[in-house]
Amino acid sequence: METKNYYSVIWLRLTGVFCFLIIVPMVILALVTISNLRDSAVNKIELSLGRLIDHKKEVVDLFLSGKEDLLTMLVGMYPIDYLGRQENLNALFRSVNQQGSIVDLHVIDSSGRQLAYVGPYASSITGKSYHDAQWFQEVLIKGRHVSDVFLGFRNVPHFVVAVTDPLKTYVLRATINSETFNNLLLSSLIGQNGDSFIVNRAGEFQTPSRQGFKQLGVRDRQYLVHHEGTAIEKDIENITATRWVKDGQWCIYVKTRIEDSLGPYYMTRNKVLTTIAATTLVFIVLTVLMASYFLRRLESYDRRRAELGHQMGQMEKMATVGRLAAGIAHEINNPLQMITNQAGWIGELLPDEDPALVRNLDEYQKSIEQIKHHVRRAGTITHRLLGFSRKISAEKQSVQLNDLIEEALSFVEREASYNNIIIVRNFREDLPTTMTDGPQLQQVFLNLINNAIDAVGQGGSLEISTAVDSQGRLVVEFADNGPGIKPENIKQIFDPFFTTKEPGKGTGLGLYISYDIVQKLGGTIQVTNRQSGGAVFTIVLPVIAMG
Amino acid sequence: MREFNVLVVDDEDEFRELTVKRLEKRGLKTLGAASGKEALEILEHSHTDVVLLDVKMPGMDGIETLRQIRIMKPLVEVVLLTGHASVDSGIEGMKLGAFDYLMKPIELEPLLDKLSDAYEKKRLHQEKIEQAQMKRHMAMPG
Repeated sequence: METKNYYSVIWLRLTGVFCFLIIVPMVILALVTISNLRDSAVNKIELSLGRLIDHKKEVVDLFLSGKEDLLTMLVGMYPIDYLGRQENLNALFRSVNQQGSIVDLHVIDSSGRQLAYVGPYASSITGKSYHDAQWFQEVLIKGRHVSDVFLGFRNVPHFVVAVTDPLKTYVLRATINSETFNNLLLSSLIGQNGDSFIVNRAGEFQTPSRQGFKQLGVRDRQYLVHHEGTAIEKDIENITATRWVKDGQWCIYVKTRIEDSLGPYYMTRNKVLTTIAATTLVFIVLTVLMASYFLRRLESYDRRRAELGHQMGQMEKMATVGRLAAGIAHEINNPLQMITNQAGWIGELLPDEDPALVRNLDEYQKSIEQIKHHVRRAGTITHRLLGFSRKISAEKQSVQLNDLIEEALSFVEREASYNNIIIVRNFREDLPTTMTDGPQLQQVFLNLINNAIDAVGQGGSLEISTAVDSQGRLVVEFADNGPGIKPENIKQIFDPFFTTKEPGKGTGLGLYISYDIVQKLGGTIQVTNRQSGGAVFTIVLPVIAMG
Repeated sequence: MREFNVLVVDDEDEFRELTVKRLEKRGLKTLGAASGKEALEILEHSHTDVVLLDVKMPGMDGIETLRQIRIMKPLVEVVLLTGHASVDSGIEGMKLGAFDYLMKPIELEPLLDKLSDAYEKKRLHQEKIEQAQMKRHMAMPG
């Protein structure tokens, strides 16, 4: 559980770092791209706004100068005597005002007296004197005048254009309906929340604000500074273009909400963001897969290393234990030799005694025999420990493991059948032979078979199989259906003197010796518990070719 | 049992002396030597048929002593005795021409048997040599 945790922490860290390394540059890329896109979109808006206002300026100029030129033409064409007559003016009005933008026409003599008037306000204006009016003076001095827009008597916005003839004998004045004029400023480019209007120098609206403002905003007022050409100002929300017209008397404002014109930008931005997000996602998925793959590799590598370490540890332990046991056995053998020698000596001297004087002669002799017997017992153990009984014969012979097992089984088959133990042979027919020490190996097999028979008890079963593994080594398995080996015992099962049998029933040397023999023959022996119950001893031996 | 001469070589006094005593009691002419060097000296001066030789001794060890004996008295049979797991030294000893090797603890009877076997081998060997010599004498004219 803990190692599982350890690996998931590594996985998390790895994935985290990778994701961080992917996401940070991607986010930066996205931000920079978006910012650049927006800048260029805003630039484009500015450019088109500039073009728009240039165009509007020309339209307004053209309109104003068109009216001016018309009047100038009329005063040039008709003398005061002609136009001063009401019926002549009426006829003229009808002919020039087919578009309907001219509201009325005045003819005023140089002293300011009105000579003729055609238009809707005749009754209130007839006979009026303009001598003191500022615009009148201006016309006389400059030759012409274009007024600001004002609300006339009927609350209709209009402005006045007045010109005089070259001799300044009279003034022709026209009131222009500025509704027509207002329409000149309309443009779809401005957008829904945009605005376009004209103000005079004082900042008074000459055309109505399309957003319904009655007064110039604070920020807009700041732009109301005389300048040549087009000025473009930008704040967070709006882009405002201004241009002076009419000899610097009026200023055109064209204003657009940046947001309204960013539609194409948003589309591009969304495309870019989607692409970047998709790329990031692909990278992250790849990273996760890679991290998982890497971790699986790491885990299996660690596991292999742990297994190897365990095997090495086991081998080292067995070697140490073996040395220790041999040392102890040696130290014990010498005293044992002395005990048996001394006892034997007593036994030899006893018959020399006078039987009449030694009352317990029989007892002594029996006792001596017992001493010898126990020394023999101890000697057997030390000899087995020291490997005395298993001299590795110098000459190895070609051995067929199947036959060897069969032979070992023949020793125990009778006992097994008494106990109704089934022995299943699962031999590979074409098992290769190997050069090894047959008798030693047979002792190992016999040990394992005996252990299995002891373990399964009445009616159990033992399955013995031989095979060749992927590396061409011989594999022999002894699988029983006994109680198996307790997990706490599995580590020391090969230790000398380790036994789970009742005292006196086993020396605890069988598996130790088996281990030692297999080791010396260049093989390995391992034990595991089967899931279905019981233990499996597996011996792996190299195939050694003859010669 | 035939009588023959045995030399017991062991650095442990108690074992050596007792073994000598017991073999004497069984009617063998037995001598003891506490070291390899001493054993070689005794071999030089007295008649010995079989040597019982401890493998592990201070100074000159059993294997070295065996080697010297084989050079000095090739006919003398040697039985090695070891208390150690020296299977390897046992094998080495056999290769060097020891009759056999025994492991402590060993009782007197099997020891005697082994010594007798060794003596028997020596005797047969000697007989063959004598026969060969006799043949040579007989083949020689006059």
